[in-house]
Amino acid sequence: MTSQTDAIRITNLVKRYGQSLAVEDLSLSVPRGSMFGFLGPNGSGKSTTIGCLTGLLDPNAGEVEILGGRFTAESADLKRRMGVMPETLGLFDPLYAHEFLAFVARMYGLEEAGARRRVTELLAALELTDTRKTLAEFSTGMRKRVAFAAAVIHSPDVLFLDEPFESIDPAGVALLKQWLRRFTEQGRTVFITSHVLETVERLCDRVAIITKPGKLVWQGDITVLANDGAIEHQGRQFESLEALFLHLTGEKYADLNWL
Amino acid sequence: MNWKLIGDLVRLRYKLMWAKTRSRNGKIALFVTGYLLFVLVAALLAAGGLSAGIVAIQSGRAERMAQVVLSGLFLNAVFGSVLLGFGMNAAFSDGELRRYPLRERERFVARHFLGILDPFWFLILALEAGLVVGLYVYGTYSFWNGAIAVLLLFVCGYLLTRVVGVWIDRLMSTRSGSMVVLLIVMSLSLAPGTLTPILKKNPALMREGLAVLRYTPPFGAAAAMIHQRADALLGLGLIAGWAAALAVTLVALERRPARPQQVARGSGSLWNSPFDRVAALFGPRMAPLVGYWLRFYLRNNRFRMLYLFSLPLAAFLTFNLGQMRKGGAGLAVAAMGALPIATFLGTSRIAVNQFGYVGGAFRRFFLFPTDPAASLRAGSYAAVLLGAAMIPPAAILWAVFAPRPLDARVVLMPVVNGVTALFVFHALGLWTTLYGPRRGNYDKSLGNDMSLMGNLAVVGVTLACMFLPMALHFAAPAAVSPANWWLTLPPAALAVAFYAASLRGASAAFPARRERLLAVVEGKA
Repeated sequence: MTSQTDAIRITNLVKRYGQSLAVEDLSLSVPRGSMFGFLGPNGSGKSTTIGCLTGLLDPNAGEVEILGGRFTAESADLKRRMGVMPETLGLFDPLYAHEFLAFVARMYGLEEAGARRRVTELLAALELTDTRKTLAEFSTGMRKRVAFAAAVIHSPDVLFLDEPFESIDPAGVALLKQWLRRFTEQGRTVFITSHVLETVERLCDRVAIITKPGKLVWQGDITVLANDGAIEHQGRQFESLEALFLHLTGEKYADLNWL
Repeated sequence: MNWKLIGDLVRLRYKLMWAKTRSRNGKIALFVTGYLLFVLVAALLAAGGLSAGIVAIQSGRAERMAQVVLSGLFLNAVFGSVLLGFGMNAAFSDGELRRYPLRERERFVARHFLGILDPFWFLILALEAGLVVGLYVYGTYSFWNGAIAVLLLFVCGYLLTRVVGVWIDRLMSTRSGSMVVLLIVMSLSLAPGTLTPILKKNPALMREGLAVLRYTPPFGAAAAMIHQRADALLGLGLIAGWAAALAVTLVALERRPARPQQVARGSGSLWNSPFDRVAALFGPRMAPLVGYWLRFYLRNNRFRMLYLFSLPLAAFLTFNLGQMRKGGAGLAVAAMGALPIATFLGTSRIAVNQFGYVGGAFRRFFLFPTDPAASLRAGSYAAVLLGAAMIPPAAILWAVFAPRPLDARVVLMPVVNGVTALFVFHALGLWTTLYGPRRGNYDKSLGNDMSLMGNLAVVGVTLACMFLPMALHFAAPAAVSPANWWLTLPPAALAVAFYAASLRGASAAFPARRERLLAVVEGKA
């Protein structure tokens, strides 16, 4: 049974694509109300893990619990309490932004008046008021904003965000961070993957770092970094998340003398 | 001209084609395609072109025969490409080629050089070459004149197809474009039926028409094959002139920027748009998904073009297949097969590969708190709805042109067959969506980007519709007689049952196919 304080608990998760191992015996827990950073190098299995956590992929072994309940691809009740911004954004390109958000709201069972208000407010707040363009015609940053709006329109209790800040302008990022902080202050949980370590360091209170193939190498509290402290790991002090990350995932240097 | 890089791109195109054969389905597709191509080329080269050459010489009307054969091949290639998309797949877009150090002219040449190297065009070339060989072996005609003429005609056919394709594409993206295309297609499809009796009655008009046709590429090629010296050179010059003019037109058309797709503006209402009102028929749980799929179909240029084509095509097939049998019975039998085609032609490309054009958005269907297979069913419902919407206009059109005195049973039989074809095709579409998916481009109006299984479903059901009633008419005439109109009902009932069973079966199989579908639609397989 999941601890009452855990929003997400992963136990011995294994995911294979054919013979290739993508996630190896991953176990971690994410406390409720936390802003959790899930980090790892390219191809380390972050998106695969999120796929298993959101019902997109079936794990080969292991168990996922969300908000105290066992989660599978068929867990409709739990999905209603989850918001997801996938890696590929998952936008229906032929639709207009307001149509798409209304569609998502209907799929999550929102009633018409409430959904109409939320769609209008989200579009205004995220500056997505150009009604002449379909989603296919939006810029990358605008598409990301729409995907974010779709993830939060039903006020989920757990939010999964795969690379949420890339391609969004600084003002947009500031707004999203502000929303996310308020979100966790209300006791809800955010699970973020990102390669922008500075942002994760400033935003998240807990972090897990994985390496290929989806193997957990560190997880812990990083709030100490915000107070000019350092993380201690294997007898070494790390004053930034970047330093810890590079130490754990392997710092590389290749001298290309022609470059 | 950077021929080295263009050559590298050609090699890359074939490497990419070869890479697709690494999967089991790819190997099967390669084997079947290779086998079919080999058999077709061999059979058609021998039976088509060569035979035509022999008949041409034996009949003493070599030039007329060459004109007819080359015109037929030319038009079939152009219509086959535009309508079915064969030979229209561009290996690389201009945008993709911009990353390479190629100038605008070189990119143009590279794109179309890659385009013309499609196996479909080689098939057409083989048929035309057969005629050259036949004329050379059994006559006293110049092989080299014929070979050059056929090569130039091959280029002309490709360029004309591209010009027509780009033009339709541009036209369809304008507000009134759909109507213009519909009018043109209607005119073209009704032209043979209208013109043939007129020309038969007026031989002078026929002669004038033939005099004008002398300036077309197939007639130019025929002249170059049959005549010597100046006349042959004139024929070659004519085709070369056409090729140059078509190339210039293509350049001009491609330089005109494509306007953004004109789609219906959002109505402001999130629940009461026409899409949503229709979708509401499927109940509150399915309504949002069906509404989405209706938008997905109706905002797609490819769908709209084929949807518009379907009625004129049904009319064209009814007349042409009906002419094969003399009298009203021929028309009625042809309509029994042609009308049903209108119920699935429009939706065909997307219906056999529902998720292939969705891309990364496929993931979202699994995030919603519903049964993920509901997205598959909703897409199919939308397609069936759109296909069914074609039945009333097709029935009215047939009732207007059907032989007099009008027998209600003659109208009813094609309508019931339409229901049969609608449900059989869309049931097959559910299975091909799951087991024959292929990543496609939603915005591309032309080109055949269906999987082998998808092609088999579309071509198979189309051919069955066209020829099954005719075969029955030959083998068991009573089976297609109006007196036995009720015989059309059991197949329709079976088709509905097959569709219902397919909905259940495909929904059950969907979870297991999920990861495979995801890999295909996101381009990772």
